[in-house]
Amino acid sequence: MIPQEAKRELAAIVGPKGYLDRDEDLALYEYDGGVDMARPEMVVFPQTSEQVAAIARITAKYGIPMVGRGAGTGLSGGAIACQGGVMISFARMNRILEIDLENERAVVQPGVVNLDISLAVDADGYFYAPDPSSQKACTIGGNVAENAGGPHTLAYGVTTNHVLGLECVLPDGSVFTTGGKEVDLPGYDLTGLLTGSEGTMALVTKVVVRLMRKPEAVQTLLAVYDDPEDCGRTVAEITARAITPVAIEMMDGVLLRMVEEATHAGYPMDAAAVLLIEVEGLKEATEEQVEQIREACLGCGAREVRMARSPEERDLLWKGRKNAFGAVGRVSPSFVVQDGMVPRAKIPSTLRFIRQVSERYGLLISNIFHAGDGNMHPIILFNKRRPGELQKALRAGEEILEHCVAEGGSITGEHGVGIEKLALMRVQFSEDSIECMVRLKRLFDPEERLNPGKLYPTHKGCLEIRQPALRPGAILY
Amino acid sequence: METLRPKSIDELAEALREAAGGGKRIRLGGNFTKNRMGGPSPAPDVVISTCELRRIVEYDPRDLTISVEAGLPFAELERIAGEHKQMAPLDPPFYAGATVGGVVAANTNGPRRRLYGACRDLVIGMKFVTLEGKLVSSGGMVVKNAAGLDMAKLMVGSMGTLAAIAVVNFRLAPRPPASRTYASSFSTLAEAFAARDALLRSPLQPVAIDLLNPAAAARIGRQGYLLVVQVGGSEAVMERYARELGRAAVEGESEAELWRRIREFTPEFLAAHPQGAILRISSTLSGLKQVMGAISAPIVARAGTGVGYAYLDDAEQAARTLADATERGWKAVMEFLPEKPPAGLVPWPAPGDDFAIMEKIKRMFDPGHLLNPGRLYGRL
Repeated sequence: MIPQEAKRELAAIVGPKGYLDRDEDLALYEYDGGVDMARPEMVVFPQTSEQVAAIARITAKYGIPMVGRGAGTGLSGGAIACQGGVMISFARMNRILEIDLENERAVVQPGVVNLDISLAVDADGYFYAPDPSSQKACTIGGNVAENAGGPHTLAYGVTTNHVLGLECVLPDGSVFTTGGKEVDLPGYDLTGLLTGSEGTMALVTKVVVRLMRKPEAVQTLLAVYDDPEDCGRTVAEITARAITPVAIEMMDGVLLRMVEEATHAGYPMDAAAVLLIEVEGLKEATEEQVEQIREACLGCGAREVRMARSPEERDLLWKGRKNAFGAVGRVSPSFVVQDGMVPRAKIPSTLRFIRQVSERYGLLISNIFHAGDGNMHPIILFNKRRPGELQKALRAGEEILEHCVAEGGSITGEHGVGIEKLALMRVQFSEDSIECMVRLKRLFDPEERLNPGKLYPTHKGCLEIRQPALRPGAILY
Repeated sequence: METLRPKSIDELAEALREAAGGGKRIRLGGNFTKNRMGGPSPAPDVVISTCELRRIVEYDPRDLTISVEAGLPFAELERIAGEHKQMAPLDPPFYAGATVGGVVAANTNGPRRRLYGACRDLVIGMKFVTLEGKLVSSGGMVVKNAAGLDMAKLMVGSMGTLAAIAVVNFRLAPRPPASRTYASSFSTLAEAFAARDALLRSPLQPVAIDLLNPAAAARIGRQGYLLVVQVGGSEAVMERYARELGRAAVEGESEAELWRRIREFTPEFLAAHPQGAILRISSTLSGLKQVMGAISAPIVARAGTGVGYAYLDDAEQAARTLADATERGWKAVMEFLPEKPPAGLVPWPAPGDDFAIMEKIKRMFDPGHLLNPGRLYGRL
């Protein structure tokens, strides 16, 4: 419980309109894009780094837990207040502080929406590369915490490859900066360590990002298949031809029909799977690559390859992909999304395994994934009104992730460990590896007050307070 | 002095644990090609080399990833990947002798980082051994991984001051079917930067953009401000570049030789100048222009990335230039030192406000300050 005195001190920092502490307001902050729920005792909305530092100092004085939050779109429970305490919303720290095109950099506050960076530099011919599906809503602070990915990270890399510097506040209120606009700075790469640390080591108050020159040409293809495993073979064939598309997205038939009914993107209703493939670069390069990719698709069993003939057609194809989860929600009120990674060559065998799991558990599983880099997002549909089906769905998901690890992959490619995958950390990492992570975390946060109960499978997690009360359409792991 | 060359990761763990347990000061490395890099390090009690750890742990070309032990020569990694028309395009100096672990620990990068990224981008996983003899893994064999802390990032550029890198996993890139290099000489710095700026603003996507000042160009038999631009792709793409960049391009053997000289500029300079030193100045694309305008000694710059390397003939001149650079607010270190460094030299003059945390990390891994002490630019 936050003492009244601490509440008063926190309120004094952010002013009367800078916090929420009534139960009906706090209820809005008890969930994110994941399934777990936990209510903070107070939400504060700082507007400056100094305010964040002052808030941290007060929480340190009273020993109160803290959790940072951007837009709350995360899928692993990273932005919920597991142990109550103070939630620090970065919603009002949403300014782009500097656009430095000459040096291909931007400096932004953590509450800036991902897509807004690209929009701000679009007219000048630049963009910010990582593009999570939630990019219209999710914030850079959250992206840094989770090391977010997205369809186009196949060619361009994930958040950590595009973040060069951070301003951070430690749980005791001290402030430091890492990295900067320059590269190859001496010393340990704290920017790299903190990116993806799920908000457990420091609160990020400023981010230096890389801007890239927009490509001259973009070509988007849709390849239609009667057998999903042919998609996996196509990916291998494209790799063998030394082509690196910027995105290769796969959707299976089950998903395709749900998406088509919701978005009318023009996807074939009777296909077993499609690949959405995009190449970018010089006009000459993309023209050739499109031909090569068409050959590869047809050679690997595609029955048809369509090309987007206009930016509108391209947007329509992507609209279906980016709104896929919404489309699933129309059909099935409850589903679990996984985020497993496998080496590219293991995609066909993993697809087979997922089908077996689906049959064994008697649950419908549809597949949507970033096929180019082996990032699988199987969606497990279930009916929460049937007793035990949620647990069955969760168990099926875990089995798929265990398979991913056994194939040399990972339990998460871009969503983060958060709460659900805590137990699976031990499947992927040895005790010695986990211990090393925990010790590093404690260097930054010795009292373990910062986003407690996430990432590290210690015994102090908040699994025991988990409430599996699903909202309609909730996305779970 | 005793030199240990463990033949397995278990032996490496044992060697580290035993040395640390006995309070011995350890010099850790691969083939020790970069002995002048980083800082004056006191004489060790024991030398541990990973040079006998040279297995390919895993390589399925279809995955475009490879896992190798730290002691594998980097050139060998490139040869193996090259058999499948793949590459780890880091272009580290000391190419012939450097080991994979040494390249990563020293974070030595080269010209093609403009397009392909640096060590921190290409390393997707790692196993390292701590002084307690524990094997810790981070990341994995997949190109995206959000599970656990990215501890490999800490090891990249750590100069072996935290733990011993045992296994490194890389993402590889397909080798482009054709490659050309355009080397153009300009009589003024302003003209050279104007040409670079035009390139950066264009939709062209060069693999590498390096700029040598006249003093550096002369050392490789060229003249003026030499802008060296590499492009890669299909023949149709090569034709496009020929239309856009006009001037005669080199390819094949002469292209490889030009880049070899740029890549090996550092080792060749060091061999010729026992009391010479090399500064690494981390700047921005625009800031690089001031850096190159202020220093007349040879400079090789990654002009598409913002890093400049200045080559100073003698220790005194190097120390002066470093002090001057620091005074101007540039982020500079003395990357390679004279064989006999002047007393009191600190190669990293101005650590930032994150240095206190770096010290904590060092203490966590190496409380006795036994592992490559001073190797991180005299500070850690």
